[in-house]
Amino acid sequence: MFEAPVQRLIDELSRLPGIGQKSAQRLAFHVLHIEEEDARRLADAITSMREQVRLCARCFNVTDTEQCSICRDLRRDPAEVCVVERAQDIVVIERTQEFRGRYHVLGGAISPIEGIGPEQLRIQELVARIDDEGIKEIIAATNPTVEGDTTALYLARLLKPLGVKVTRLASGLPVGGDLDYADEITLGRALAGRLEL
Amino acid sequence: MPLRNDQGIVLRGFPFGEADRVVVLLSPNHGKVRAVAKGVRRTKSRFGGRLEPFTHVDLVLYEGRNLDTITQVSVIEAYPAVRGDLDRVLAAGTMVEVIDAVTQEEESSIRAFLLLRQGLAALDAGPRHPDLVAAFLLKAADVVGIAPALERCAGCGRRDGLTKFSLAAGGALCERDTASGAVALRPGLTTYLARLADSDLADLPEHDGVFSGEAMGVTRRFIEYHLDRGIKSLAIDA
Repeated sequence: MFEAPVQRLIDELSRLPGIGQKSAQRLAFHVLHIEEEDARRLADAITSMREQVRLCARCFNVTDTEQCSICRDLRRDPAEVCVVERAQDIVVIERTQEFRGRYHVLGGAISPIEGIGPEQLRIQELVARIDDEGIKEIIAATNPTVEGDTTALYLARLLKPLGVKVTRLASGLPVGGDLDYADEITLGRALAGRLEL
Repeated sequence: MPLRNDQGIVLRGFPFGEADRVVVLLSPNHGKVRAVAKGVRRTKSRFGGRLEPFTHVDLVLYEGRNLDTITQVSVIEAYPAVRGDLDRVLAAGTMVEVIDAVTQEEESSIRAFLLLRQGLAALDAGPRHPDLVAAFLLKAADVVGIAPALERCAGCGRRDGLTKFSLAAGGALCERDTASGAVALRPGLTTYLARLADSDLADLPEHDGVFSGEAMGVTRRFIEYHLDRGIKSLAIDA
């Protein structure tokens, strides 16, 4: 056991994901040796993020205003909405620069095995947006896992009768990968979704 | 290095570390096996797609002190149609959840493994039979030794007059039995349940809309009562 203030920081850091006792000790002693001003800035960054960041009233992305910057952007096409599991996924899709619509963060995926059903996700909020914003297409950009696929199937069943086109991100081979390393499930999907040249 | 070969059906997995996943499989000889699949959450992972739930795989495992590490995977059966249909994937979720609840690590689970394989194969073969999940649950109860008495009174063993059902007594009761908590059953329901319990999952009797819903309800409550836990996947309203 270290002195109480040091041990307290180690205990708090070790509660973070992926940080064990050893890593927490290393980080705590790093903080102990940096300039006091740097340590204060780190503490301030953590507390001000918690105080200022909230969820976008429309899409549930993280933001520091009533609506996130994407929802406020008038150049965005309101007819296309990309549905993701987590707010972090928005950044990944934005990096592609291929999508000019808006987003909707579900807050997870349907998991029959874990007992997570649609009522535990922000699906009713998505349904409410359809008429309000004139949504024509929902792109199910959930993870290509059983849970993500199940969520996409549920969205299709729920939204197609409302006249909304529901599409799913294609599955296939990663750019730069070797064909002989591809697993048969991914390769099978790549074949099913092949494109004419 | 202690390497071993095994096979199993993937029951579930959960994120571990930066890009790894702990996969829980049901092996016929070793029961539930937990193993780490390194880097499996990265899009360029060599075997990520092979370790999704419901997939029957052949494995090479490196034996670790706490957890084994998966070094090679090949697919024996992927049951692709299951993942492409909402009703089937929910049914598969129930099958996997129940098998996960009734099996242990380091304990031979051949009957549970074969049952799960049959259940997934039946789901993959075509549209979901309305009684498939109920039949699966009845068979799973038999595998773990808690099968309900359906053709004889659970109290006195009589074969006729089975008009009531008691969760605590262990199944159908005749009219003369007075166990507390017994409820009256629709005439013919125990016979319907017995036929489901005895049928091959790939060749279930034609379903009867009058009995189907009640058969599922009685079976679910019976399993939940004796396992002392709810079946979470059945609570999903899709």
